[in-house]
Amino acid sequence: MFDFDATLPLMAVQFLLLAALMNVVFFKPMTKVIDDRNDYIRSNEADAKERLAKAERLAKQYETELADTRKAYQATIAAAQADAQKIVDQKIADAQQEAQAQREQAQKELDQQKQVAMQSLEQQVEALSREILDKLLVGI
Amino acid sequence: MLNFLDVPNSLTLASLEVGHHLYWQLGNLKIHGQVFIVSWIVIGILVTASLLATRNAQRVPKGIQNLMEYALEFVRDLAKNQLGEKEYRPWVPFIGTLFLFIFVSNWSGALVPWKLIKLPEGELAAPTNDINTTVALALLVSLAYFYAGFSRKGLGYFAKYIQPTPILLPIAILEDFTKPLSLSFRLFGNILADELVVAVLVLLVPLFVPLPVMLLGLFTSAIQALVFATLAAAYIHEAIEGHGDEHDAHSP
Repeated sequence: MFDFDATLPLMAVQFLLLAALMNVVFFKPMTKVIDDRNDYIRSNEADAKERLAKAERLAKQYETELADTRKAYQATIAAAQADAQKIVDQKIADAQQEAQAQREQAQKELDQQKQVAMQSLEQQVEALSREILDKLLVGI
Repeated sequence: MLNFLDVPNSLTLASLEVGHHLYWQLGNLKIHGQVFIVSWIVIGILVTASLLATRNAQRVPKGIQNLMEYALEFVRDLAKNQLGEKEYRPWVPFIGTLFLFIFVSNWSGALVPWKLIKLPEGELAAPTNDINTTVALALLVSLAYFYAGFSRKGLGYFAKYIQPTPILLPIAILEDFTKPLSLSFRLFGNILADELVVAVLVLLVPLFVPLPVMLLGLFTSAIQALVFATLAAAYIHEAIEGHGDEHDAHSP
């Protein structure tokens, strides 16, 4: 069982040759494949992370832009509403003023005509009263 | 040496042969042919799987590439855990090949019915159940950690032998012998014992009963490969780090 012979050194040499051969056909190429894959995954991951960060930054930017725009259009609407309100108020005030003026005009005309009418009435009353007086005084 | 079960040859359904080898003559050197045959098959499996996995490597792995990537990440984590993030890279091929070679050897011994192939003498089995293989691997681990220590610290590596106190010098020197000894005998003993237990059980009850032991054998084989590679990495780490104050427990 324990017979040592030339098998021992030959086996050692054979094993060293096997190790050298395996280094060439197995360990080196396979390690390269695995390392390449790790590099590929790492670079892809970094790339993806960068793109994700970029996308997030863009999303944030768009959100702020959206918020700004919303604020701007709300301001525009508010301004337009205020303008419209002002115009409406102006128009109403104008119309009221005009109506007031017309009413005053009409009132004035009315008063004038009334005065004219009263005057003519007074004249007629005077004329009539004179006629009456004449008629009465004729009798005397 | 241990073929205690060849008594009534007519009754045996499976026979146990330990210490019988298929000897090949190489010059005036003798080598164990069956060990080399199976180790070549193991090497063939490893290299074929590697080539298939890396031949058309995709970014999204599938099939054998996935399996081999899992294996690579496993041994890489093993080396990283033992040697630390900074040092582990140059040692991954050595430790990884140790693990893969021992693992595939052990499982080939446990899974492939080698007995169906008749050899003139001896029988095919896991290369790791031959003491020559395990001692060769363990000595390589010793050389590796000496190399790691010297290349890191030069002759200052010897300082670790007298680091806490020179009184421990004999123990520190002894450790350099016990490390390969325990590494090789642990692996050799576990794999041989597992194959022997399975063989004895198959001899006694040929059907079904050996299955749990075979499953246990698969488990042990995997664990032994892991232990060997982990300890090799731990020894190398110890040599690089110096201050032999964190000795790894020699697990059985």
